[in-house]
Amino acid sequence: MGLTIREKAEYVGTFRGVRVYLMEMLARWVPTTPELEVKVLFGRHIWDLAQHADALGKRAFEIRAPLHYTLRPSEEYQRLLEEISGCQGTAERIHGFYSVILPGLEKRHGDYLAHTDSLQDEPTVRILDRIQLDDARMRRESQALLAEIPLRLADPEWPGRLAAQDSAVTQFVVPGSGVTLAREVAS
Amino acid sequence: MSGQAELDPKLFAEAPVRDPRFTVVDRWKECRLFPDGHPEKEVEFFHRQMHEELNSVENAARNLADFPEADWEIRMWIARQCSDEARHVLMFRRIFERRGGTLGQYPVMSFQYRICTKIDTLIGRLAVQNRSFEAGGIDAVKVGIDDAWRRGDTELAELYESQGADEIVHVRFANEWIRQQVAANPRNGLRMAAALTHGSRAFAQVMGEEAVQGIDYAADQSGRLEAGFDAAEVKQVYELSEARRLENLARKRPGGGS
Repeated sequence: MGLTIREKAEYVGTFRGVRVYLMEMLARWVPTTPELEVKVLFGRHIWDLAQHADALGKRAFEIRAPLHYTLRPSEEYQRLLEEISGCQGTAERIHGFYSVILPGLEKRHGDYLAHTDSLQDEPTVRILDRIQLDDARMRRESQALLAEIPLRLADPEWPGRLAAQDSAVTQFVVPGSGVTLAREVAS
Repeated sequence: MSGQAELDPKLFAEAPVRDPRFTVVDRWKECRLFPDGHPEKEVEFFHRQMHEELNSVENAARNLADFPEADWEIRMWIARQCSDEARHVLMFRRIFERRGGTLGQYPVMSFQYRICTKIDTLIGRLAVQNRSFEAGGIDAVKVGIDDAWRRGDTELAELYESQGADEIVHVRFANEWIRQQVAANPRNGLRMAAALTHGSRAFAQVMGEEAVQGIDYAADQSGRLEAGFDAAEVKQVYELSEARRLENLARKRPGGGS
């Protein structure tokens, strides 16, 4: 069985909410990260994340949610985002975002794609496919940067622990967390 | 470091962080300013410009981080600006290194960031950063493009053309959004005016008279029209810039006062 229109809207709204959060996180990191090369990397990826959020926000309206419908993820996933967002070291910021958050989102996109009907929900599928390509490029660019400038993690095992914490998140979307669908707002 | 009084903390926010390769100074006269014809003049300028672009990335990023409640459309433009300015950093770094420079070779300034992030409204920041600093960039880039083509420096002319096109986009989106905001609430006009006064006072502290007296070009009228200024605004800024240009030229003539 596939997803109801409300479930689809909740997923799309949550994916968008996470993208906006990540865009703002990189924006906060730009002036507070010392290395020029890293500022430039974050600055370029802010635009990628904004475009993802924009596409998801427009798609939400097509599936009967308000335009740019934005939902917070579950508390346990939000805590993970906040832990990474609070990192002060450049290496931690890079590993936390590119090696933990993005791969975790790739898996969640995959879960959604596995459950939705790819014909009925083709526009969402296309958007997620494009996001996956962008995320893969962003990760490659971070790897190239790490090869260029020496950055050391204070605790080399930290990303692995964080990735395990991400994998242990049982719920990403909060069912029924959406305020209403657009039709109900209008009425 | 400079032996001068600190910049007025009422006008300047904290500087963004830098890695140890860079030496950051407060005032224009503390930069390594080479005379016309000096072999390092161009490379020093590229280095300083690269860093100005970095300040622009940081300003745009702060605008996203500090104003999460702003309309999504303007946030999209600002996110785009982050990416464009980051690309400009790479463009200037590439030409600077190709022409023999090394990162951190010359002092740099963070005045744009320190002035803009001291302003607490988005309309104020966009008025100062996009509508003033970047619009001034449109004027300067036009001169740079013409000069680079005249000298047969294709690489530089293409860089400036690309940068200039991006700057026009940044000024235009700010102009359009500011106009909407002022139409929606006239108090926004007052907020913008306060920010421009702040920006102007702070800019004078950093640059001093010498920097302004060195400007020998007028405003780029067609570039500014394309960037969303109206005809009256362009006429006014052109007349002011042309008067300044003639005054500066007169000063440079023998017996002209400098």
